[in-house]
Amino acid sequence: MPLHESEEQGAITVDHLPPDLARTLYRHMRTARDVDTEAIALQRQGVFPAYVSVRGQEAAQVGSATALDPERDFVFPTYREMAAALAHGVDMVGYMATHRALWHGGLYDVQAARFGAINAVVGGPVPHAVGWAVGERLRGDNGVALAYFGDGASSEGDVHESMNFAAIFGAPVVFFCQNNQWALSVPNEHQVAGGSIAARAKGYGMPGVLVDGNDVGAVHHATSEATERARRGKGPTVIEALTYRVEPHSTSDDPTRYRDEAETERWIRKDPLVLMRAALLTAGHADEELLDEIDAKARQEAERIRDGVANAPEPDGSELFTHVFRETTDELTRQRHTWQEEVEL
Amino acid sequence: MADMVKDTFTLPDLGEGLVEATVLEWQVTVGDTIERNAPLVEVETTKSAVVIPSPRTGRVVELHAAEEEVVPVGAPLVTFAITPEESSGAGIVGTVPQEERPTRRVRLTPPPE
Amino acid sequence: MTELIERADTADVPAAESSMQQAINRALRDLLAEDPNTLVFGEDVGKLGGVFRVTDGLQKEFGSQRVFDTPLAESAIMGMAVGLAMNGWRPIPELQFDGFAYPAIDQIVNQMARMNYRTRGATPMPITLRLPSFGGIQAPEHHGESLEALFAHVPGLKVVAPSDPAQAYTLLLQSVRSDDPVVYMEPKARYWDRRATTFEEPSDPVGTSRVVRPGRHATLIAWGAMVHRCLQVAELAAEDGVELEVVDLRWLKPIDTAGLAESVRGTRRAVVVHEAPLTAGLGAEVATLITENCFRDLAAPVQRVTGFDVPYPAGPLESQYLPTIDRVLLAVQRTLEY
Repeated sequence: MPLHESEEQGAITVDHLPPDLARTLYRHMRTARDVDTEAIALQRQGVFPAYVSVRGQEAAQVGSATALDPERDFVFPTYREMAAALAHGVDMVGYMATHRALWHGGLYDVQAARFGAINAVVGGPVPHAVGWAVGERLRGDNGVALAYFGDGASSEGDVHESMNFAAIFGAPVVFFCQNNQWALSVPNEHQVAGGSIAARAKGYGMPGVLVDGNDVGAVHHATSEATERARRGKGPTVIEALTYRVEPHSTSDDPTRYRDEAETERWIRKDPLVLMRAALLTAGHADEELLDEIDAKARQEAERIRDGVANAPEPDGSELFTHVFRETTDELTRQRHTWQEEVEL
Repeated sequence: MADMVKDTFTLPDLGEGLVEATVLEWQVTVGDTIERNAPLVEVETTKSAVVIPSPRTGRVVELHAAEEEVVPVGAPLVTFAITPEESSGAGIVGTVPQEERPTRRVRLTPPPE
Repeated sequence: MTELIERADTADVPAAESSMQQAINRALRDLLAEDPNTLVFGEDVGKLGGVFRVTDGLQKEFGSQRVFDTPLAESAIMGMAVGLAMNGWRPIPELQFDGFAYPAIDQIVNQMARMNYRTRGATPMPITLRLPSFGGIQAPEHHGESLEALFAHVPGLKVVAPSDPAQAYTLLLQSVRSDDPVVYMEPKARYWDRRATTFEEPSDPVGTSRVVRPGRHATLIAWGAMVHRCLQVAELAAEDGVELEVVDLRWLKPIDTAGLAESVRGTRRAVVVHEAPLTAGLGAEVATLITENCFRDLAAPVQRVTGFDVPYPAGPLESQYLPTIDRVLLAVQRTLEY
């Protein structure tokens, strides 16, 4: 199994990356980190009812999402893919609207963004990636589907069914597992039999790649290889990016009940953003001045997203009924009148 | 609907746990048309000699074993040509319901006009 | 809705004999021919032609890109349908038996049914799930279920059950051309029902019922195979001087409230007949709609004749579980005497 893990824990290199790309990766990671920080604040300020942090997983998400062609490929996320959405070019005010509970699935245009609706049933969107990818091949097009899922979702039957289907149909799918080692309160050793999700790929006859999920360059490289392989008609790949959920599962969670703070502290010291910043300087791809400039722009962008989502109008009550069907029914129209009657009391 | 389809009948396990049977005597030859449940072939197992009734109505197009030949359970015995209509029930899970004349015990009293 | 297409081979052709199985096959053939985005897939639908031979010959005619076998995994079949629809296709998946829809419930309910809603119309789901349904063929366990109430309860789904070959043809065209997801429940017990059939383009809107036999003393309301049962009952009732109207509901969601009300206003009595268990079955919905809309016209409470609240029984007990002629007649008598 090819291993794209950095040699030395706590240091990564981006010497092999084009400077422009390396700086772009950093910019997305930095922006996502700031959006994440703002989101946690919005939750504490009563604007978001809840939030799921991506902190510590920015390298896994940005490294993978930037390996795709946003004009051709399609991403199938679960609910913790904010940094991937940002790197893929999704309208982030629309994306973050889901965390303000303005609309399940988010308020961005899924088809225009080529980024599926936010989905809480982890595993559920994975077969969609297979169907989409099979459809792409049937039409003779060469887009690739990338399905995000976690170590928890790897236990879902849908993930197994999807890998089997994708391999049988030779579908252009990248199964991208962010193994952040905790499925809410359950750690890998109680979740992943055999200890490796990447190793499962062998059973489906497809490549399985384990990559250091905190090394953005390594993730980017592994995902680019898998994507190009899929695009050439060589079928699916499983990538397992080993990372860590340094924050609680959600703002409603209390990890002190189930995990050792010391473990979290160790992973915080492996912060992918800090590693990336250092690597950019070492490689000579950027100097402090340039990075400060990127940081300032990221902050501005995060504030724009924050203000956009905080000030977005709530949907009108009539939208309850608008998209249930393409062709609505008499019964639903009657129920809409019932709603209207009450509104007008 | 004129197209005929082929349907091959394999030797069933004629007792519990038998593995083979010997063909004693065919009751049909290739080209014969046979009705369902008409005698098809006599075979002998370690338990007994038994006549297998035809599982199909159809024309016999191939006999897969000669007389005195030993046939393993599950091996082809005979191939019929049948109309698709007759084949439509083959292989389905469940039983094709038979249309029966409706019967009842309850009689109704019309309401007063 | 796709525009209706004039088809020389179906217009003004004298009625020929067809089974429901053949009628559905013909509808699938016509749909595959008219719309290059339609795809037929599921377990054993390709070379075998499906366990009921409903997809017989389709792979040969349209190729294994348009008609294909999948591995045995119902959730992935429906998840794949969702993904194909996201990529612009018009999938017609088959789940081999009703009881096998349960493993796919997440994809049907959480994904397919609400994808258009959660994406605010960006991602329509023009999927028709073909589901061999209901009992009456003495099939093994999990091969004869009545899931209509479950599906009808799910926001975003439409549900339809044809009762004869002509209806099966027309309703399948209508379901597949719909841009909403439809669960098309094929009554297994009527697959082999052969009768003179004309193959017609849909003309009634989605959600309309039809009167299959007019009468004046009571209305029997049914769908799928129970329409035939109700016609048998009506025939026998006529011998006793009782004229029963039989309504084929066809669409189980949306339900034709106006059509039901019109019939029951004429007869003042209603009996709803279904195979599914009684409690929280669709009969309760039908009875309520009638009561809400025809309360003053009713001469008796709406009766329900259904399967019992028991798991679907094995072969020999099936005929006692399914609504029998006598059980329906007794219910009719109760409404007449009320």
